[in-house]
Amino acid sequence: MRKSIIRRYKEPAEIPTASTADIAFLLILFFMVTTVFRATTLHLKIKLPQARSTERILMRRNVSYIWVDINSKIYIDDHVVTSDMVGGKVTQKVWDNPELITVLKVDETVNYGVVDQILDQLKEAKAFRITFASEQRR
Amino acid sequence: MALRKKRRIKPTIPTASMGDVAFLILIFFLTSTIFTRDKGLKMLLPERTEEQEKVKVKPENIVTVAINPAGEAMVKATGYEMILTAVEFGEIKRVVEEKLLERDTLLVVSLRPSKDAPYKSMVEALDQIKLAKATAADGRELRATKVSLIPTSEE
Repeated sequence: MRKSIIRRYKEPAEIPTASTADIAFLLILFFMVTTVFRATTLHLKIKLPQARSTERILMRRNVSYIWVDINSKIYIDDHVVTSDMVGGKVTQKVWDNPELITVLKVDETVNYGVVDQILDQLKEAKAFRITFASEQRR
Repeated sequence: MALRKKRRIKPTIPTASMGDVAFLILIFFLTSTIFTRDKGLKMLLPERTEEQEKVKVKPENIVTVAINPAGEAMVKATGYEMILTAVEFGEIKRVVEEKLLERDTLLVVSLRPSKDAPYKSMVEALDQIKLAKATAADGRELRATKVSLIPTSEE
């Protein structure tokens, strides 16, 4: 009696797994499409200086950049600014985020005087946390 | 005839592991993706101070590293005075380390690049100062944390 009942269910119960691959690929594509690598792309050729004690900045949210290219032109937020305009721009940013870290991406051939003027403006704007962007030297 | 009857199950390619493979790829890409992180030398700028409240530091606690427009450094401390070419910047680290042992936490490194000095030399000097570390007699690790950055005035 019992034997005959068991015999009816020849195929074991299964969860259909054929579509998990589709789900996973969907996720891959979703992440690939939504990943934004960089919000702003500046077409500046800046060769950063090399340093052995280069550290990584962990607080990405608080970072703001100042670029100085080979011709000593200063860029903030995709705009060319004069050295005495830096203070005003940064003051606004510090107002928005007191934790601001200013990253100075300066070409290695630039004269230090230019950097000094920027630092002076940053002190004025109370943006005390700065980082001199550099490449890791091995 | 008898042979044919045995083949009841249709031949299929097992697709159960496809999901595992796809998730493996997904996790691999998730973990191996490196976003371009910002890297650099951290520094804390001082607050603007009035002339009267400027801190006085004893001359024996100071190591001065001056950089000229040609990218050469001059290291000045008690008992030291040397001029370094661009390839000899490693000496800065050595002098700072020696002074760290001698002066402990009192040590102040004064980095004074000329306004016409290349930025590269200033960063290299700062790098050397940051690299310097020494172990005190009681086992503490000493680092040159007090760095002042003032450009040399034109004469």
